[in-house]
Amino acid sequence: MHSAVMHSQVMRRGRWLWAAALAVYAFLYVPLAIVVAYSFNDSRLNAEWVGFTLHWYQVLLNDEDMLAAAGNSLLIALVSSLVATVLGTMAGIAMHRYKLKLLTFMVLTPVAMPEILLGVSLLLFFIQVLNLTLGMLSIVLAHITFSIGFVAIIVRARLAGMDESIFEAARDLGASQWETFRYVTFPLILPGVVAGGLMAFTLSIDDFVITFFTAGVGVSTLPLHIYSMIKIAVTPEVNAVSTLLMLLTLTMIVLASRFAPDVLKGKA
Amino acid sequence: MMKSVLPVSLTSILSRLRERKQSNRFANFKLTKWLVSGPPFVFLLLFFVMPSIIMVLASFRYPGEFGGLAPLTAADPATLQGVTLETYRFFFSDPIYSQVFIKSILMAFATTLICLTMAYPLALLIARSPKKSRDLMVLLVILPFASNFLIRVYAWMIVLGPQSVLSLMVNGFLQWLGMGPVHLLFSSFAVLVAMVYVHLPFMVLPLYTNLEKHDPSLLDAAQDLGANAWQRFWRVTFPLSLPGIFSGSALVFIPVLGMFAVPDILGGTGDMLIGNLIKEQFLGTRDWPFGSTLSIMLTIAVLLIAWLAAKLAGSRGSYV
Amino acid sequence: MARFEAQCGCRVVQDYYSDNEEMLAKLAAGATGYDLIVPTGNAMESLIRQRALRPLDKGMLPNLKNIDPVYLNTPFDPGNSYSVPYAYTLTLIGYNREKIRELDLPVDSWAVIFEPRYLEKIRGRVTVLDSQRELLAAALKYLGYSANDTDETHWKQARDLIIRAKPYWAAFNASSYIKELTVGNIWLVHGYSNDIFQADLDAQKAGRKFCITSSIPKEGAVLALDSMVLHKSGPRPDLAHHFINFMLEGSNSAELTNLIGSGNPNRDALQYIRPEVAQNPAVFPGHAQQAKLEMLRDLDRHQRRVLSRIWTEIKLR
Repeated sequence: MHSAVMHSQVMRRGRWLWAAALAVYAFLYVPLAIVVAYSFNDSRLNAEWVGFTLHWYQVLLNDEDMLAAAGNSLLIALVSSLVATVLGTMAGIAMHRYKLKLLTFMVLTPVAMPEILLGVSLLLFFIQVLNLTLGMLSIVLAHITFSIGFVAIIVRARLAGMDESIFEAARDLGASQWETFRYVTFPLILPGVVAGGLMAFTLSIDDFVITFFTAGVGVSTLPLHIYSMIKIAVTPEVNAVSTLLMLLTLTMIVLASRFAPDVLKGKA
Repeated sequence: MMKSVLPVSLTSILSRLRERKQSNRFANFKLTKWLVSGPPFVFLLLFFVMPSIIMVLASFRYPGEFGGLAPLTAADPATLQGVTLETYRFFFSDPIYSQVFIKSILMAFATTLICLTMAYPLALLIARSPKKSRDLMVLLVILPFASNFLIRVYAWMIVLGPQSVLSLMVNGFLQWLGMGPVHLLFSSFAVLVAMVYVHLPFMVLPLYTNLEKHDPSLLDAAQDLGANAWQRFWRVTFPLSLPGIFSGSALVFIPVLGMFAVPDILGGTGDMLIGNLIKEQFLGTRDWPFGSTLSIMLTIAVLLIAWLAAKLAGSRGSYV
Repeated sequence: MARFEAQCGCRVVQDYYSDNEEMLAKLAAGATGYDLIVPTGNAMESLIRQRALRPLDKGMLPNLKNIDPVYLNTPFDPGNSYSVPYAYTLTLIGYNREKIRELDLPVDSWAVIFEPRYLEKIRGRVTVLDSQRELLAAALKYLGYSANDTDETHWKQARDLIIRAKPYWAAFNASSYIKELTVGNIWLVHGYSNDIFQADLDAQKAGRKFCITSSIPKEGAVLALDSMVLHKSGPRPDLAHHFINFMLEGSNSAELTNLIGSGNPNRDALQYIRPEVAQNPAVFPGHAQQAKLEMLRDLDRHQRRVLSRIWTEIKLR
């Protein structure tokens, strides 16, 4: 019976299915491969291949504005992902354990809605109500807001996949709420928390739309800087920074998937 | 035996202790609940709920003289102040704004459809692959998503640029047919391609999650009953995958509706979507009330779509 | 910049913006701490009316006498209480001289951008500025109205003119059109005089076989006067005044013109400017043309809203 099922499954991955799927994979990867390839191109234009060079990476490393923007991005990502991880973990636990409808709604909606709405409403709020000068603080607050949801989803999924009886056993053995959390719950959800944190970090580094509205003057992040480069003067330096950024986020995602492989599917 | 010998007072003390332990536990439970849910609740209340309320309120204000919002009350009665329905009147006064909305909806629809067509084979393949390779294949789908959104858009600037391989091929072909050259870049075509590219993973994942849960014996049974490959797909697989289709579609449709960066970078002159209009109001014309009104309209559209998708997905049963 | 920093022993931090709208939006969004801003005419008008600027202490600006009085006493800032003119640019037609000569097109009129009979020859090779005010101004001028005309009927006529010409234009582009001109993809632009100057320099440096030149249409054009103003929230007005005075010195002021080809209202600077730049009518328009130049005035909120709608129609139709 078992081998019959396996056999029919294999049979159904027909040639056309493979071809179509591979075509889609190619569609996904070829443009990015081109970006990386042209970062080594010895030509100002992203047109034909002239020769191999590391020149653009040199330009990148000497580009003060770019480095400043990168520094800002890293700092913002660190702070916002830390806070978002803490708040998001709490939210995830609360959502799972106490089934709070209102909190769930508040946590999940920023994730689901178009980013521009969040960006614009935060802009309004910061200026009109808080009278806050837009800058690093406003960006950090904005990033935390949309990251909480992602962390919460991951932590909640992790909790949902766990066997409830462990907690009951701990309590029956006389552990207090805090002890249960510290010695049972937390170690078990830790992979989810770490994955959530990595996710929040990546989202913060990559964010464009929300940062665009809440950045104000004087503070630039890497995506904002790349955007202005794309709009004004495109050189392969953009390719170089793109390649490096891709390497960074690739590492993050691979790490995150190691910690919580089932998590990425549960995102939806 | 022992109980009757113990004095009544001791028994009652013991039982009261036990009660207190229970109630303490209960009180602890309540306290922890507030402790755990409190901070994220407060934060989101402050930085998500309040800004949204502000946005709704802002749509009822006059635009400030130099941008922003006009004051609610001002000492000088001559200055523009107070609340108004003016922005809503302005929105409905000219069909152009509804046209922008319709354009955005069409673009979202087209993107969703193409994403579905491309994602389905891929999701199907992954779902039917042996478990070991599945995780890797899913990872391979997500990895491009890991790169910065702008990079993914920029990649298409290169691929569709006038001197790229693709452009030369297409134009060479058109020339051979006797037609004039077309600009692939800075066109609605470029915007559509990039939108699909950016949102494809969002369609693949829910579809895959759904397809993975399908019972293969159903297909075996269908085959035994004489159904060919196409019939097996259309009458068994496809209907069962509908919830996945609907959730995936919502995950694509909604973000595309609010996009502005893609048309901004890759679009031609006519590619103005709702997102671009909103951005222009806030950062260009400085007409914040009108920008807020547009945002409210967008929010309503999004809520409608989300509600519709939830209804369609939920009504199909347990394969979500 | 380096010389000034050496002279004053201070550090200058710079922030850039792509157009006045962006700057005004950012200031409206509460950016503070800027000592010095260099806005263009109508943006400055807005800032003055918002009372966001600090009045100048003329005593600290002995070099103010270097400025040509033609550029002083503007309607936005009578008596120059707040601003000191610094540079000016014109919005005009820039073109690839060889190509356009080949096609025999009249570059002395905005018609070459708006009339299909000319546009046919350069279809897909023209760009216009992606700026609501600038494009509308060019259209209004071509129709014979003032660039500051706020009559809605006139605006609608301008809008229809633009929509009719739009299919022939390659793009609305305010930033990267310089590169396209230099590379030879684009043959004619509606652009800023200093950008076009730069494009020609780049073209020559790249060894192109054509040169880029510009022309002021006979119907008139927009003059953008950049001035230095002090923001109220700036912490070092003393340094800001020093900087202004420094930039008012002929030799310093001329450097900018020599470098980017922006017009210079500083009489003392003329002696330091390279002859070929000084002769360029796009950089230093003669008196006859000066009469036809207009500076853009600020619009009120209702007009801005109407303009925004017209711009949406232009983009969409």
